[in-house]
Amino acid sequence: MTINRRDYLKGSAGLAGGALVGGPLGSSIAAAQSRSETLRHVMGAVLTSLDPTTGGATRESSPLSMNVYDRLVAFGTKQVAGGRMFDMGNIRGELAQKVDRSADGRTYTFHLREGATWHDGTPVEAEDIKWSLDRAVGAPSTAKAQMSNGSMTDPGQFKIVGDRQIEIRTERPDRLTLATFCVPFLPMFNSKLAKKHATSDDPWAVNWLKDNTAAGGAYIVESNRPGQQVVLRRNENWKNGENGKLPYFQRVIVQTIPDVSARASLVERGDADLTLDAAASDIPGLEKRGRVSIIAVPQTNAWQSVAFNTLAAPFDDLKVRQAVTAALPYEDMFNAAIFGRGKRLFGADWSEPPSSAIPQPMPVRRDLDRAKRLLAESGHAGGFRTTFSFPASMSTTVEPMAALIKESLATIGVDVTVQKLPDAQMTTMVSERRLPMFFDFFTAWLPTSEYTTRIFLTATTRWNASGWNDAIATKLGDDARYETDQAKYDAMMVEVIKRYVAANPLALLWHPNHDAVVAKNVEGYTYWFHRGADYRYLKRI
Amino acid sequence: MSATARHVAWVLRGNPVTAIATFGFSCLVFLALFGPWIQPHDPIASNVANALQPPSSAHWAGTDQLGRDILSRLIAATRIDLAIAASAVAISFAAGVVIGSLAGYAGGLVDRVIGSVVDVLMAFPLFVMAMAMVAVLGNRIENIIIATAFINLPFYIRFARAEVNVRRNAGWVEAARACGDSHLDIVLFSLIPNILPAMAVQISLNLGWAILNAAGLSFLGLGVTAPTPEWGIMVAEGARFILSGQWWLVAFPGAALMLTVLCFNLLGDGLRDILDPRMRT
Amino acid sequence: MKIVVNVAARVGNRLLASLPALFGVLVFTFLLMRVLPGDPAVFFSSDPNAGPEEVERLRKAMGLDQPMLVQLAYYLRDVATGHLGSSMSTGQTVVVDLVERLPASLELTFIALVLALSLALPLGILAALRPGSALDHAVRFICSLGVCAPTFVCGLLLIYVFYVVLGWAPDPTGRIGVFDAPPPGITGLLLIDYLLVGDLASWRSALSQLVLPATTMALFVLAPLARMTRASMLAALGSDFIRTARALGLSHWKVIVAYGLRNALLPVITITGVVFSTMLGANVLVEKVFAWPGVGSYALDALLSSDFAPVQGFVLLMATIFVMVNLLIDTLYGLADPRVSIR
Repeated sequence: MTINRRDYLKGSAGLAGGALVGGPLGSSIAAAQSRSETLRHVMGAVLTSLDPTTGGATRESSPLSMNVYDRLVAFGTKQVAGGRMFDMGNIRGELAQKVDRSADGRTYTFHLREGATWHDGTPVEAEDIKWSLDRAVGAPSTAKAQMSNGSMTDPGQFKIVGDRQIEIRTERPDRLTLATFCVPFLPMFNSKLAKKHATSDDPWAVNWLKDNTAAGGAYIVESNRPGQQVVLRRNENWKNGENGKLPYFQRVIVQTIPDVSARASLVERGDADLTLDAAASDIPGLEKRGRVSIIAVPQTNAWQSVAFNTLAAPFDDLKVRQAVTAALPYEDMFNAAIFGRGKRLFGADWSEPPSSAIPQPMPVRRDLDRAKRLLAESGHAGGFRTTFSFPASMSTTVEPMAALIKESLATIGVDVTVQKLPDAQMTTMVSERRLPMFFDFFTAWLPTSEYTTRIFLTATTRWNASGWNDAIATKLGDDARYETDQAKYDAMMVEVIKRYVAANPLALLWHPNHDAVVAKNVEGYTYWFHRGADYRYLKRI
Repeated sequence: MSATARHVAWVLRGNPVTAIATFGFSCLVFLALFGPWIQPHDPIASNVANALQPPSSAHWAGTDQLGRDILSRLIAATRIDLAIAASAVAISFAAGVVIGSLAGYAGGLVDRVIGSVVDVLMAFPLFVMAMAMVAVLGNRIENIIIATAFINLPFYIRFARAEVNVRRNAGWVEAARACGDSHLDIVLFSLIPNILPAMAVQISLNLGWAILNAAGLSFLGLGVTAPTPEWGIMVAEGARFILSGQWWLVAFPGAALMLTVLCFNLLGDGLRDILDPRMRT
Repeated sequence: MKIVVNVAARVGNRLLASLPALFGVLVFTFLLMRVLPGDPAVFFSSDPNAGPEEVERLRKAMGLDQPMLVQLAYYLRDVATGHLGSSMSTGQTVVVDLVERLPASLELTFIALVLALSLALPLGILAALRPGSALDHAVRFICSLGVCAPTFVCGLLLIYVFYVVLGWAPDPTGRIGVFDAPPPGITGLLLIDYLLVGDLASWRSALSQLVLPATTMALFVLAPLARMTRASMLAALGSDFIRTARALGLSHWKVIVAYGLRNALLPVITITGVVFSTMLGANVLVEKVFAWPGVGSYALDALLSSDFAPVQGFVLLMATIFVMVNLLIDTLYGLADPRVSIR
């Protein structure tokens, strides 16, 4: 079926503009039909690269890559309170039909799907897969670091072992090896096409793949106007989805609209079908008017916190950290900053962690008497002056929070100066550990407890915002990575949590919601770890 | 002296707008000085349960996202906004007059060098320059003052240079020179006092502009940081709620900004009338 | 013939004279950007797994590992050859980005200027015809109000009234109705491009997108234009040749239009040039409020993410336009008024 793009766009122009300028409501039947088979996604950010592993690619290039490229395997989905989300515990084949795992957990054998083709119609071959994997560990890209998290660092680990079989071997049985094949950083490339555009300076065609694709996924990039819009067309030959089904939407228009409220109102008026990361302040109004569905799933792989710099005074003192932690107005912040739209990570009531999940709700709550007592014990009875910093891009959420923190800490004598920093300056100062107290927000693609521990709790990079340094926890995280016995693994993680609570390096706040504003007649929206939309799962009813 | 007073009174009578502006200016100064004793609520105290309430008898200008009283925040902001504008204008005035007078009096190479530096500055999109300066120096009040002062500087230099240039060969300057006054003395004690009245008009108009600049910077997130009450940041905070219909978050601080600037501008016009009736346009 | 040579010489001289200023702008912006706190390489390697090695690679790619003077020399060489570097946040070269966005700013500024002039000229003339009257005071007051309202507040309130309450205006979401097809980029100015391809529905929709932001800007610049019109009109009307014309018994309106207005327009042209340049620079606030994809919002975003090249490119562009506009005004002025000496 071919769509006359010009016609349908004209029709919709009439719809969008008609009410405003009295233009004709020129919607023909054909236009209405193509409208229903077209998904319109409005987003705030711009897409800087079609290859998410390019340095400097924006976050939005990851979900786009999921729709355009296939991976060898993919996470399944599961129903949770509020909507559907990805399921790490359930991995299915994508470009690979099945995967065998050796008894020692060190070897995976991927069997490629019969009859799979690239967008240009050429067949997918084992050489393509080998080239893609080699590129991931060899090319100067962000994929390299991601691969090392699955214990893959050397092209020698990837072998073509049969006509359509690829074998991957790792030194030790790493818990994350298979999951790594599901992330956006490991797309499978049409190597024959990509190699044509490789140069001696750029053997992996990094530059070419930034603006072009060599893919075989569910959607084909039809046009790309960087900073404005990308149009995707369905790949009618795609058979690698769940049960081999084609996605519902024939066409997807992804458009950049910088203003967050404007995006939501477009969906509300029926001009767009989907927008993500709606402003928490807009949601109550949207819900009340009831013209759109709000799919709100707590981002259990993302969390926000108030971090303390444990490496410098005054927060190198445990008692000071505990005092401030006890003086934060959690419930008010939860309501004012994210309008209660999330999952609390405070206010738990335990002395022994109830599970091995990291993070999980912490046994902290606002208790000003305790805060004052701890502060006095630390020798700061008269209080002290400090700063609370946050990146400018997060102002909507953090500005109200900062006002509440300043007000609340004043009651225990701590005088807080609120500091809004340009994002680049903020990241620099966090990595140089020059900020005493600041807002911190991170997202893990593979949110297992041990991954979280390694990357966000004990690492020496800026992702361990508080600079917590605990040799035992570090060792537990490193060992747990290769621990195949689940009970032992859980015990190790519980130990990490206990040490973490005792050291109190930061005050965990909440998992914010992922709020998708979706047209009433579109269903199937699924929350993904990359926090973008996977159009393959959506359909209009 | 009494002649001057009569002249002022006459101008004010003939021009009620200036009288109103003078009254408005007094009100602003009063609020800036005595705001803390007048504001009905604590401008910082939050009450999340009472957030986003429209104007009512308890909160004349409504409440914001954290349930803070907007009217009290407006009053508290008067002091900061006026202080920023006044300090910025004072700095650019002082620096501008000295540099400009120097250029105008000395002429020659000094004049040409200063003139071309001013040309470079004037070729900049000045507001963008202020943005860049705050971004470089950091979001602190003193940096907003510096940035605002800096982008006003070229105007003062040009103005002072032109005014001094006109006068530097006037009879009374020659007389001072003949009496053996040093060049510095002539500039400081003869020329600068003589150009002050003309500069006063400039200052008043400039104060309004400085307030708009500072508020604009804050609005873009390159100025005063919340939760400090400041009109520009209040508008920026309120902008998020305009599409959902909570107009009072923007309208009141916006009105405060507008009235203040209006007040300074009318005052500047009035001042010009008082100083030189012929200059009125 | 002599006039052409004279004008050409004048333009040439002016261009030469503006070169040092442009060079100064270039160096100054470069230095300003380098002292921006924050390491762009750290910022743009935003992947949690990125180690120091990735950051170093990015820093090298961005040329940040060189000494500052070397960087400056490279930069000047690039600018001289027409390269303004690449933006890290859009992934495009700055030239491409600016070419893409400048028409949006220009279109908005032009429409706003036309709107402002079409209001300011009649208001100024009317006020000048009856100086001191109630009308004069009213015009003066309206102008004072316009110049006092911060553009961003004005814009937000217009959005509230005309979009939220009345529903007359389109979403404040940019220049194209969201699902209108962008026209083929002929000039980049939507109103012209849509006309060229004959797509009237989209043309109307693009125009409706322009109304609110253009009004916002027009209100802001109404005052200087109206004031200057009034002042120069007053001066013209008070001059000898008007008195002579009147004495000769020419009709009231003929005197005003043919003799008064024509002479009064010269200073108005000058101030229009200044206003135009100011508007282009101050656009950033309006662009931010209306999500207008112009060069101002582009520079702001780049500034906030320490993305040097776009800010430098933007400032250079603005300074160049500033110089060009001044030159144009100057030339026009010289042509129109032979008394202006040609140096």
